[in-house]
Amino acid sequence: MMNFLKMAFRRLFRKGEHAFTRIISLAAGLAFGMLLLSEVLYYYSYDSFYPDADRIYVVHENFKMDQSSDKLESHPRVSGAIAPGLQAEVPGIEAATRLNSLGDHVVYTDDLNSYDASVSLADEHLFDVLPIPMVSGNPREILKSPMTCMVSQELAENIGGDVVGKVISIKNYPDKKLTIGGIFETLPENTNYTYDVLISMVSTEQFTWDGTENWMGNDRYYACVKLSPGIKPADLVPAVRAMQVKHQDIEKLEEEYQGIVLQYSFEPIKQIHANNVKDMIIILATIALAVLFVSLMNYILLTMGTLVTRAKSSAIHKTCGAETKNLQQMIFSETIVLFGISILGALLMIWALKPIAEAQWGHSLVSLLNPYVILPLVILIVLLVFVTSYFPGRFFSRIPVATAFRDYQQKRGRWKLVLLSFQFVGATFILTVLVIVTLQYNNMKNADHGYVAKGVYYGSTQGMDGNKIATVLNELRAMPEIETVGLGHDVPISGASGNNVRSTDGKRELFNVADFYEVDANYLSIMGIKVDEGEDFTSNQAVTNDVLISKKGAELLKLNNGWTDGVVGKQINITEHGSTSIRGVFPDFVVRSISDPDVRPSVFFYLPEEKFEELKIENPSTSFNIMVKAQPGAGDGLMGKITEVFNLGFPLDDAEIKSLEAEQLDAYKSEKGFRNAMLIGNIIILLVTIIGLLGYTFNESARRRKELAIRRINGATLYDILKAFISDLEFVAIPAVLLGLIGAWFTADKWMQNFAFKVPLHWGLFVGCSLFILLLVALIAAINYTRTANQNPVDALRQE
Amino acid sequence: MLLQLNNIFKWVNSGGQRIFLLKDINLEVEEGEFISIMGPSGSGKSTLLNVIGMLDSFDEGEYNFLDESVHTLKEKHRANLYKEYIGFVFQSYHLLDELTVQENLEMPLIYKKFKSSERKAMVADMLDRFNIVGKKDLFPAQLSGGQQQLVGVARALISKPKLILADEPTGNLNSKQGEEIMELFKQLNDEGVTIIQVTHSEKNAEYGSRIINLLDGRMI
Repeated sequence: MMNFLKMAFRRLFRKGEHAFTRIISLAAGLAFGMLLLSEVLYYYSYDSFYPDADRIYVVHENFKMDQSSDKLESHPRVSGAIAPGLQAEVPGIEAATRLNSLGDHVVYTDDLNSYDASVSLADEHLFDVLPIPMVSGNPREILKSPMTCMVSQELAENIGGDVVGKVISIKNYPDKKLTIGGIFETLPENTNYTYDVLISMVSTEQFTWDGTENWMGNDRYYACVKLSPGIKPADLVPAVRAMQVKHQDIEKLEEEYQGIVLQYSFEPIKQIHANNVKDMIIILATIALAVLFVSLMNYILLTMGTLVTRAKSSAIHKTCGAETKNLQQMIFSETIVLFGISILGALLMIWALKPIAEAQWGHSLVSLLNPYVILPLVILIVLLVFVTSYFPGRFFSRIPVATAFRDYQQKRGRWKLVLLSFQFVGATFILTVLVIVTLQYNNMKNADHGYVAKGVYYGSTQGMDGNKIATVLNELRAMPEIETVGLGHDVPISGASGNNVRSTDGKRELFNVADFYEVDANYLSIMGIKVDEGEDFTSNQAVTNDVLISKKGAELLKLNNGWTDGVVGKQINITEHGSTSIRGVFPDFVVRSISDPDVRPSVFFYLPEEKFEELKIENPSTSFNIMVKAQPGAGDGLMGKITEVFNLGFPLDDAEIKSLEAEQLDAYKSEKGFRNAMLIGNIIILLVTIIGLLGYTFNESARRRKELAIRRINGATLYDILKAFISDLEFVAIPAVLLGLIGAWFTADKWMQNFAFKVPLHWGLFVGCSLFILLLVALIAAINYTRTANQNPVDALRQE
Repeated sequence: MLLQLNNIFKWVNSGGQRIFLLKDINLEVEEGEFISIMGPSGSGKSTLLNVIGMLDSFDEGEYNFLDESVHTLKEKHRANLYKEYIGFVFQSYHLLDELTVQENLEMPLIYKKFKSSERKAMVADMLDRFNIVGKKDLFPAQLSGGQQQLVGVARALISKPKLILADEPTGNLNSKQGEEIMELFKQLNDEGVTIIQVTHSEKNAEYGSRIINLLDGRMI
């Protein structure tokens, strides 16, 4: 074997081996294929690092969003009392825990250094279910002690290493001091629930309303259970129901609502992420396998081509005593060497693409280095090495000795055309999908969202001194670059929480709305949302808690309440807001993004500017956004200037300003990333296909040089020859292109199911992509065959 | 008796017709013989040599080699047989370009599973014997035609075969180099190695103790 490896290395540098071409095309295919496949495998590795991960389940609550529908919505958060209730009352549950996320915050140390951190409240049972190795401290004791927390090793190192005993505070809760009691090893990135700071759950009321004993509502707790060995979620159903009957009076509720109200299910923690990205997994895996397949077909095609020219060496080895297995070992060694170098090349390419890949995947590439990703990839590569060496090895060892010593020419190899046609299928598939994805992305990015994002900037008042809000607003209004300043709780691209609109008699909940909570008189004008019916909040008649509703909501109100004279001026009751008067109706706009729209009707409630200010002064943890509409043509440095003004209200000068336009664009980063992945895949597949085509036509023109010469001598023109040869190729290419189109149509259709707004799959698009591939095939074949056809036919015949 | 061919026929079917490459060949070769096969192009010389070397099959007849019935053997056994007893020398030398002289000589020993130390010793002996020690690290492309053929013969001999099959061994050499190679064959034959060569040259054929003439696949 060592001798074969030595020979394989020497062959790398020999002319006619196409080693460089084979390595480049294989490396490109492997780099892209491995990157996509590792991402797919990464999705399946989520939360597998927890010991006994197979026995850990996340508790979901299932409920009807719309009582008129049978569809149950599943939500991965539950009320505070559910986890301890399950542990206490459901046999088969070994341990249960709950976490309550406070969100991403800026954390301050005593020396006023700030650090970004994800903060959660957790109960003392956390490490019974989701254990993480501790660097220092006892997690149970820490999570039982009020105003005590533990931090990740990464955060501890950022702060200064030995942080136990130090005091930290959170920007939004500046007066709440937390003592660090321990350090846990930083969580891997492949987890569904991440945190940098864990605060004891007994401290809840210091930060938010304490719903830890709540059996219904305030469903914001991430509850996890660990089942006893051998127990399945279905085994728990009767005991869970009994718990609901006992604590939630669920039978009465079901009778009242005439159907299912609330159920709990247990989802395997390892499968949650993969289930969430199921469609993406199918698409990524399809593209990865297509690229890998095309690269491998091309590698085999080129390798077989070189083996034909090496037929004599097969015979020489045989006359030296080589057996079939020796020759197969020889090809296997060559494959290992070429694959080894290609894999190194692929890793280099991945390393070069690291920033793009990390930005696209949203996690570090280092996190892919876990056994759940690496092991299947290694198995796949070993399998590929065997497959790609087996067929060439079999071919090489079967070349008859007697003919090999003469001028061995391969017969018309249909297999070569089959391999080539696979590449045409792949090239057509990925090109067509790329075009569709690009069109869809551009359409979504540029589509009218129903509000204006350009020139709109906003910043949260989280951590802002309430007494300074008026100053900030005045300073902003004084800026010549700024047209309008206003206030509002949310922006459409960030989505909205929900509340229910009740029937006029208050007995039924009619429908759920996307609730944007309070806005001031300027908010709608900043957002460019115009009221169609009634009037907006600039009216002198507007009073606090008046509501504006979207057209869809107005239609539903008319339908449900039998209102024939419109909705303006009518009284409605909305949960959390109570009774309110409808002041106007605005056109529906896109809530969240076009790729993931919230299709519920939307509502805004009125709150005058001075009331916003009062609210913030009374309750400093309240937050809303200060919105700014820039003058058209405002300069580039505007965000910096706005930040400076905002910082007048922030004691630590840590204001964060966002551009609504940038946030809107960011909402489509997943589609943009997919488009970019497609683009890279397309370039690789086209490159590989062109290489394969060049190799094939080169071998074919060598094999058929006698035929070409005879045709020329008999008067065939270059056009006649090209027509005959290119027709042969197109005969194979056309069905392959059709297959590629079918694959592309299915994949694009599946992908587009994610979007409410879809670019039409026009037939012209498919025809255009097919023509591009068929013309590319014809062009490359024409170039290569022209060269051979223009040779002196007498020379070609003499060589025969 | 080293080998015996009885009523060997070999044919190909082309355009509905059977074209005979070898027709009723009967040949007995004793150990230590030096046989020259002659005939015009297309007469079946190389085909006969390939059949004797077990590199090519035949369609009818019997072939016995050292009392083994070659025609009944499976490919693996046939390969073992020629690997053990036969060495090949070719007109175009057929050295492996990517291997040095030394490595070319070592190749048959690797396939015969000699230990590394044994291989090194045997190669050293052969380099010495053919006076090409100074060329051991050169690649075939760095040698003259005569030197390449010398290496080709050395490679054929290294596993101590009973029979050397040479297909026009001097065809690509000038007259001086050709004579040297033929003298080498003569010397090997004197040492007891059986040689069967295919040649167009009357002069080279004279080195043999017996001449077989072929015409249209038939011995005449």
